Amino acid sequence: MLVNCDKEIVRLMHEYLDGHLAKTEENKLRSHLQSCEACQKHFHELKRTVAMLKSSSDIQAPVNFTANVMEGLPQEKKRVGYMR
Amino acid sequence: MDMMIKQKIKQVKKGDQAAFEDVVSFYQNKVYQICYRMLGNTHEAEDIAQEAFIRAYVNIHTFDERRKFSTWLYRIATNLSIDRIRKKKPDYFLDAEVKGTDGLDMYSQLPAEQALPEEEVESLELQSYIQQEIMALPPKYRGVIALRYLDELSLLEISEILDIPMGTVKTRIHRGREALRKRLRHV
Repeated sequence: MLVNCDKEIVRLMHEYLDGHLAKTEENKLRSHLQSCEACQKHFHELKRTVAMLKSSSDIQAPVNFTANVMEGLPQEKKRVGYMR
Repeated sequence: MDMMIKQKIKQVKKGDQAAFEDVVSFYQNKVYQICYRMLGNTHEAEDIAQEAFIRAYVNIHTFDERRKFSTWLYRIATNLSIDRIRKKKPDYFLDAEVKGTDGLDMYSQLPAEQALPEEEVESLELQSYIQQEIMALPPKYRGVIALRYLDELSLLEISEILDIPMGTVKTRIHRGREALRKRLRHV
């Protein structure tokens, strides 16, 4: 089960998810996944986690955010051409 | 886009405050998202994100225009968020849950059929559930996860933003993702 293959294979999974996996390593990962159901599940869960993170990454700043920032800026730079 | 920002920054450096408004408007969602991911609270996120822009404005003369503005800005935002977390006294006991890779073989409760994440995440409830699970991670993992899934930032960019080595970024992303996998597995 996973106990024997986990460390190296899981590392390859993460390298893959970060787009850092070389072709030879990718083949290694693929052929392992074909034969190991536990790792298949693990990989599926990771990809699902990533999909969840991505699809929930559309967080918007509150309305008036920009206006509030502009109001909070120190006043002294308002005149164009003035450098501190 | 990059050219537009570069131009605006030049104007801001010359003292044109109005030019900064476009910069804020362009980056507000990104910066707010970083803060929200790290702090998990809308009021604090707004507070810190605003502070990040104000700091950027006040210190704009220290920004090296040959570099990427977003890297510099995100760094200010993550540093301020980390400071805020430190002041709040984090839940150190949660560290224990993340370390180690035990429990990888607990698959028994996995449902046979799973809905597509895109469909699931449409509900706001799940959005806040995901955030809640992110909050259960120690801050150092929260930061890299926030940045990694903010614009699919590269590991190199994340290492520049957080000023930590690539290897550390990699380890933290791997561990953070593993921890979230365990937490989100049954959703």
